[in-house]
Amino acid sequence: MTFRPLIMSTPIIHFDHATFGFPGVIALEDISLEIQSGEFVGVIGPNGSGKTTLCRAVLGLMAPLKGHLRIFDCACDELRCHHRAKIGYLPQKGVVDRNFPVTVLETVMMGRYGVLGLFTRPSEKDRQIALEALAHVGMKEHRDSALGHLSGGQQQRVFIARALAQQPKVLLLDEPTTGLDITTQHHVVELVRHLHDELGLTVLLITHDINMIRSHVDRLVLLKTRLYAAGPPADVLKPEILSQVYGKDLVITERDTIIVEDYHHHHH
Amino acid sequence: MLDLLAYDFIQRSLLAAALVGALCSTIGVFVVLRGLAFMGAGTAHAAFAGVALGYLMGWPPLLMAILFGLATVWITGWVEEKGRMKLDVSIGILYTATMALAILFIGLMKTYNAEVYGYLFGNVLAVTSEELRTIAGLSIVVIGAIVLFSKELYFIAFDQEMAEASGVPARRIFFLLLTLVALTVVISLKTVGAILVFAMILIPASTAYQLTHSLSTLTWYSVLIGITCSVGGVLISSYWDIPSGPAIELLATLFFFIAVLLSPKRQRRTLASS
Repeated sequence: MTFRPLIMSTPIIHFDHATFGFPGVIALEDISLEIQSGEFVGVIGPNGSGKTTLCRAVLGLMAPLKGHLRIFDCACDELRCHHRAKIGYLPQKGVVDRNFPVTVLETVMMGRYGVLGLFTRPSEKDRQIALEALAHVGMKEHRDSALGHLSGGQQQRVFIARALAQQPKVLLLDEPTTGLDITTQHHVVELVRHLHDELGLTVLLITHDINMIRSHVDRLVLLKTRLYAAGPPADVLKPEILSQVYGKDLVITERDTIIVEDYHHHHH
Repeated sequence: MLDLLAYDFIQRSLLAAALVGALCSTIGVFVVLRGLAFMGAGTAHAAFAGVALGYLMGWPPLLMAILFGLATVWITGWVEEKGRMKLDVSIGILYTATMALAILFIGLMKTYNAEVYGYLFGNVLAVTSEELRTIAGLSIVVIGAIVLFSKELYFIAFDQEMAEASGVPARRIFFLLLTLVALTVVISLKTVGAILVFAMILIPASTAYQLTHSLSTLTWYSVLIGITCSVGGVLISSYWDIPSGPAIELLATLFFFIAVLLSPKRQRRTLASS
């Protein structure tokens, strides 16, 4: 089903029959998935399908109950992966207190802290890396603004810059467009695509919004506790595949827009 | 007023107040931002129970205070991590239980012990040279640890999970913060007392919070306000001969309300709503 490269390189993220959750509550079951360096992968699925669990697993915050997860060829079973700083992470909106008394530059500098490790003070070089990250997302002139004074879209850009300041190999974004207006949603996804192309990042973008990302991603992963499909958007976004996950709530319009009826985030 | 400064005990108490003010207001930044405000109060009462047990059994009170304080913060931290119950519930239970223990220990004493009450209300003007050395030594340890781990402490205060995800040993830093809170409370017990130490941790950082949007500026404002209030409070208390604890605390509260009134955040809100 999925495209296999002729030259087998080591995947940057490798789920091997991995099951996640707490004993008695399985969030993700028997996931096998390889993500190659430089891919742009979208992860879709309904509410409670295990998208956020997948995110936590990749971050090394959760060990598999069964099976294996290897990231940068490092087993993350013991939550001791030393490569965490190589994954730039944009958490879901609402997880972070956006009124925290912190400036834009201070926020982005935090991206350097994990990389530097204990007992090392941030230097001028770290400041330059943070400013460069801000320039990448077009927020350099806001460096001294209060984070809480920015618009939702600007805050997302700052958090993306924070992730970039880690100089990551992988960019992991959990619902980056939730709570933003349509125009801003497109700007954020376009920015991520641009960063992927320019910096050669591997991107893992988790979203419920299929239409938003379908034209931007190389590959889509469809989840609902199990992995239902993984492949190019055209192969995954077929009524017979989507209906297995979304059931009768799924409507595909004549203009090929996918509408999932029970989804309260969808108002258009 | 200046002739007061010639007295040894005034010099000692000013120095003790400045140290405790700096210490409480520094740790207070992380306590307020990490949402551990209530934990300061719980720890103070636990530490007081330790002092009472120390006097009852003839054990060193300061050591008992440290043990009780550490036990409280570690238990509450562990409970929060496990997510078994809300932090305010677990602290509320430990808070009242340790207070009950303190009352029990005092009740078991055969005679009235004024020294125990000194730890409850604090008296910075009665600080001895030996106590001042202990305060100075422990303050250097705590402030040194804060400076050493400041970037990690800021990060977990902002978002512990994000810190963990980007490679910071966030759990260990969280327990370090809890340990430093317990030590701060114990160090401050003799000078400001178990009841008011909580205010010394909370008020300077909350006052600074009204005035700035930058983490580093917030920290410096907090320390400045903390030292000013404690030194100012001691001067007021010795000049007008009123208890030092309330003088420090009420001065800090006054600063807080002035900051709320002058807050740029408040003005912005007023503009936004008009």
